[in-house]
Amino acid sequence: MLKKIPKWNLVLLVTLISEIVIFGLINPRFWNMNVLLNSFNDFIGIAIIAFFVTFVIITGGIDISGGSIIGLTSVVAGISSQVMGLNIWLAVVLAIVVGGLCGLLNGLFIAYAKVQAMVITLGGMLLYSGIALVLVGISGASTYEGISGFSQGFINLANGKLFGILPHSVVLFIVVFIIAYILLHRTRYGRYIYLTGINQNAAEYSGIDTRKIITSTYVLSGLSAGLAGVILTSYLGSARADFGGEYLMPILTAIVLGGTLITGGKGGVVGTALACIIVGFLKLGLQMGGVQTQYIGLAIGLLLIISVAFLGIPNFKSNVSRLLGMKKSRGGNLNA
Amino acid sequence: MRKSKLYKLLTGTILATMLLAACNSEDAGSKTDKGSGEKEASDIEVVFIPKMTGNAFFESGNNGAQAMAEKVGFKVKYDGAPEGTVANQVQIINSAVNSGADAIAISSVSFDGLNQALQKALDAGIKVVTWDSDVDPKYRSAYINQGTPEILGKMLVDMAAGQLENPDDAQQVAWFYSSPTVPDQNSWVEYAEKYIAEKYPKWELVTKQYGEGNEQVSLQVGESILDTYPDIDVIICPDSTALPAMAQAAQNKGLDKDDVIITGFASPNSMRQYIEKGTIENHGLWDVTDQGALAVYIAYHLAQGNDLKVGDSVDVPELGKVTVEPNTIQGYDYEAEDSGIIVLPERIVFTKENTSDYDF
Repeated sequence: MLKKIPKWNLVLLVTLISEIVIFGLINPRFWNMNVLLNSFNDFIGIAIIAFFVTFVIITGGIDISGGSIIGLTSVVAGISSQVMGLNIWLAVVLAIVVGGLCGLLNGLFIAYAKVQAMVITLGGMLLYSGIALVLVGISGASTYEGISGFSQGFINLANGKLFGILPHSVVLFIVVFIIAYILLHRTRYGRYIYLTGINQNAAEYSGIDTRKIITSTYVLSGLSAGLAGVILTSYLGSARADFGGEYLMPILTAIVLGGTLITGGKGGVVGTALACIIVGFLKLGLQMGGVQTQYIGLAIGLLLIISVAFLGIPNFKSNVSRLLGMKKSRGGNLNA
Repeated sequence: MRKSKLYKLLTGTILATMLLAACNSEDAGSKTDKGSGEKEASDIEVVFIPKMTGNAFFESGNNGAQAMAEKVGFKVKYDGAPEGTVANQVQIINSAVNSGADAIAISSVSFDGLNQALQKALDAGIKVVTWDSDVDPKYRSAYINQGTPEILGKMLVDMAAGQLENPDDAQQVAWFYSSPTVPDQNSWVEYAEKYIAEKYPKWELVTKQYGEGNEQVSLQVGESILDTYPDIDVIICPDSTALPAMAQAAQNKGLDKDDVIITGFASPNSMRQYIEKGTIENHGLWDVTDQGALAVYIAYHLAQGNDLKVGDSVDVPELGKVTVEPNTIQGYDYEAEDSGIIVLPERIVFTKENTSDYDF
């Protein structure tokens, strides 16, 4: 069974390459390196959170509050720097810490009070976006316009390019990916995450403090959402409470498409990373091919359903071939 | 072992593809520097971006835009997301830049959230026009405006005053619109109050209520206005959610246009039933199909390589001559020669006689 995951990554890789080839043939501008690299800006927030929600899902939980933590941390960064006059980089740290605290709150309830993860993070989702709106109200900024006027240095955080070529979002994508990869696949902590997800009781009996492990994955997921909130604020040059509101489904899409089982115990960040790029390029490619944005959800939905059918249903392939084989043999009978 | 070899092979393939792509990029990039005025109409693509898709107002704007494109012969791509968020609009602007569009005409969801994306579009040589809802004037060439605060504020008051037998007498007036922070509606109301103070000094402003753009909240607020101020004479609702809700509230209480005057801005499709039943006498709006058509035409005009300076006028097929006015008419400080406002030539007052002529 373990063999299945790397094989899935291979499928994703092939999908990605064929996307690049096909969309390039449709619109040659797709092969423009700058276009491809710049498109990372549009899904970097989703990717950063998805890496660490992958951890959460491997432990058997789920975190749907990531999107609203983005809005909250964006507002925290905006208010503390623009309204209260805190140094922008301190404000960035503060915002990420706030994201981590939101995650901690989720994690404590889920691991120690044993409330269902879905219930807690659903509550968290509403709570955090509510707090964000209240904060905006208190600060006196209008909910419609957001807080702007950030320094150029901060704007460059997301909009700049390393050596003038590599957009910061690509660098960040790689760095966060490497951190997540090492944590999950190269450390004892990562192994414990898998063990917790496979069988929490067995892990507990073998001396793993599963409650700590579970809590820590939510903290990581909260911190990553905080980072995503800061990056999005920098990218758009304005802090708003509604940022990230529509990220819930894209985050889960990336994880599920990446081959992580929603029931826990199996998966990895390589798949999540590839899936983020696949969905990102799919959007870009379809838009450049002239498809209207409102229909792109349709394509992503199809991709997800087909891939999950392949991945999730046991013996899907053999079933399909049996089905085809049956047809063939029946045909043969008719002929006879 | 074999697996890792396969990985290496695949990684190699990707790198090779990307390298090839990089070689290709110069060729693709050159399309962005547009020549001057030499472009064929059919080569020009304008991306027409609504706040969100699936909303009758914006779909009507698109109908106008497509009709104009067909008539003149350029291309219009209607591109919006179902959720009107800043991130979605930024992505749509980016994809317009990437796919080599010549101009965009956008109804922005945020005054400043699109700045970075628009700057990139401008850097790539793309012309930017706004319509319905503006951005920071630094980041666009022209704003296709439905009307200045002066025009729309005066129109609101005149629509109400026209229904009164003696507009110069004392009247109790209420404002009801979306929120105290929304910039455009507040600017109309501000001017309207100035106009009332000058022309109808006896009018008394009794209350100002907000419905937050939410249908249910608006209906409740509408009913509470009628309950709290039983002697109210005029309720003006410059908001497309507040106006139908106010009319519905009056209808629920069995009131009609003889009991209380309700008027404001909303699309004729949302108000037709109230006009036909006599709950209200009139209401106004601009023709959003004209606005969409004008927006894409101006975008096309700029993409052809034409300059548009303050004071210039443009002949627009079907719509006639329009003039570029300075940003100051909308109350902005930013003044540059190549940034201005084009006000729609006319706005419409809908009554029982003409409401069936419009479908938006």
